[in-house]
Amino acid sequence: MLFKIAWRNIWRSKLRSTVVIFAITSGLVGGLGASAWMNGMAKQRVKNSFDYQIANIQLHNPNFAVNLDVKKTIDSVSQKIAAIKQIEGIKAVTERLKISGMASTANKNLGVTIIGVNPKREKEVFTLYKTIDAASGNFFNSQTKNGIVISKELAKKLKVKLHAKIVLTFQDFNGELTGAAFKIIGLFKTSDSNWDKSNVFVKNTNFRSILGVPANEYHEIDITLNDFEKAPEISKIIQQKFPKVLSEDWKQIDPYNSLLNNFMGVMMGVFMLIILGAMGFGLVNTMLMVILERIKELGMLMAIGLSKRKLFIIIMLETTMLSLVGAFIGELISMFLIRYFGAVGINLTSMQQGLESVGYSAITYPSLEFIRYVQITIMVIIIGVLASIYPAFKALKLNPAEALRTT
Amino acid sequence: MSVIKISNLTKTYKETQVPVHAVNGISLTIDRGEFTAIVGPSGCGKTTLMNMIGGLEVPTSGNVEINGVEISKLKSNELINYRLHNIGFIFQSYNLIPVLTAKENVEFIMQLQKKTKDKTEQRTVQLLQSVGLGNKINSKPNQMSGGEQQRVAVARALASKPQFVLADEPTANLDSKATSQLLDIMKNLNKEENITFLFATHDQRVVDKAKRVVTLEDGKVVSDKVII
Repeated sequence: MLFKIAWRNIWRSKLRSTVVIFAITSGLVGGLGASAWMNGMAKQRVKNSFDYQIANIQLHNPNFAVNLDVKKTIDSVSQKIAAIKQIEGIKAVTERLKISGMASTANKNLGVTIIGVNPKREKEVFTLYKTIDAASGNFFNSQTKNGIVISKELAKKLKVKLHAKIVLTFQDFNGELTGAAFKIIGLFKTSDSNWDKSNVFVKNTNFRSILGVPANEYHEIDITLNDFEKAPEISKIIQQKFPKVLSEDWKQIDPYNSLLNNFMGVMMGVFMLIILGAMGFGLVNTMLMVILERIKELGMLMAIGLSKRKLFIIIMLETTMLSLVGAFIGELISMFLIRYFGAVGINLTSMQQGLESVGYSAITYPSLEFIRYVQITIMVIIIGVLASIYPAFKALKLNPAEALRTT
Repeated sequence: MSVIKISNLTKTYKETQVPVHAVNGISLTIDRGEFTAIVGPSGCGKTTLMNMIGGLEVPTSGNVEINGVEISKLKSNELINYRLHNIGFIFQSYNLIPVLTAKENVEFIMQLQKKTKDKTEQRTVQLLQSVGLGNKINSKPNQMSGGEQQRVAVARALASKPQFVLADEPTANLDSKATSQLLDIMKNLNKEENITFLFATHDQRVVDKAKRVVTLEDGKVVSDKVII
């Protein structure tokens, strides 16, 4: 009966309750929508870095990271890859040669990282090849000797086009400055323009002979997992297996991604707490009005024998149910909008240059885990209970005789 | 056998510069089965006396004993519980719970008393039929006339099987037909089920039906007549 009274009380003043519900609904749609948008942007950035740049785990010679020293290689790579593939949770593994060099054309010189890849295995770990559209060549599908894949961004900077030649200059394994001409066979484009500008891809087989790196030695092993969240524990296993190499998970390789991944949850929590806090104050105000309007009725309830505990429960239920109705509608609308925009994306092409310069895509796909909706519902219940305390306390302090005298 | 025993009861309000003695040394005994009207001009202390008997206000001095229990000594929660099980209230402006139907209003009291659902339903229907509202069981207060609402209030007051019913100006908002119907119902309940009724009223029609009339003036009993 207490539930029934509280529920029906909400609809006694339909206009007021509707206004409160609308306020909660719009607050939640705004809050959840913005959170989903930020979350989508962050997730996309993290995903892009996994898909194009760093995979989930990388292995290097412990001294390689200092200045990409060509001599700091990992040996017996094929044996290591075979052993790594035996570990549970490993999806794919590839090996890379990786050095710093200079890309030159008749117009310009630019510093780049030259990455030598095994195209077949590279495609199992990274999906960079998917960013090359039909008109922009391919990712080493052809047998072109000394082919190179660079980004559209770099091509623009170097003022070259597909099938043009560029010269790469770098230091070989013996410390001698060397170089070779490469023909552009593919132009990729990711959502991180800075990364695009500074990385070029060549075939391991061509590159090794110019570089002079001994057979079966590489600078990097890249590993992708079935579940990227398991990277730290699998990285530890690999580290124990190969103590002479440095195994790093994606959080260690790119702490900014890790920060984004963890911080989004915190940011969303804070964001929603502010919105729900404001909602709480609105509820307190509404419920104080309700108490003021129903003084006589509350006096009657206390007179006929309603205990203070039950009176508190009625007010608490009314507040909580009112906020839950708003939350439910808000979450439903949010869910629909997030699903819709999660499928079609939010196009911010007008800000493309700025966004891509910091690694974010111009088209973002909002996303929000289901657990977030559950958390919001719990937060709404807590806020509802908290918001009912002060009005309920005011009601409990009423003297029934005085309350009954009010008109 | 006395249900209510009031001894030298006073209530003084000190909110103004001059203290107001709303009730000034009243002693009174109400026996089971009485149908008593407390009358007097406005401000004579009727409602204050009723509130103290009902445990809604604390006396400045004196005692209210109900079935031998001195209610002014009960703690706040005990007093609420005592009211729930021992006193039925009928108010001037009906004071039903507006969001509940007639049936739910009556059931509510019994649910607070934690009575079983079967007993609750049976008694509710019986009570509403006894006040002539068998056909309005599922009507909400705003779908009923004032007289009908007050009859629901009577049924609600009786739902808890109280020791007595306190009715403060129960007919003040009713027309003569509704008043007459209501008084007949209460009179019958008094006669047939020996329920004790105590009214505070201005209404001569209530006084005419009363078995005993206590007249107050300036917070004191000036006459106490049993009508034969």
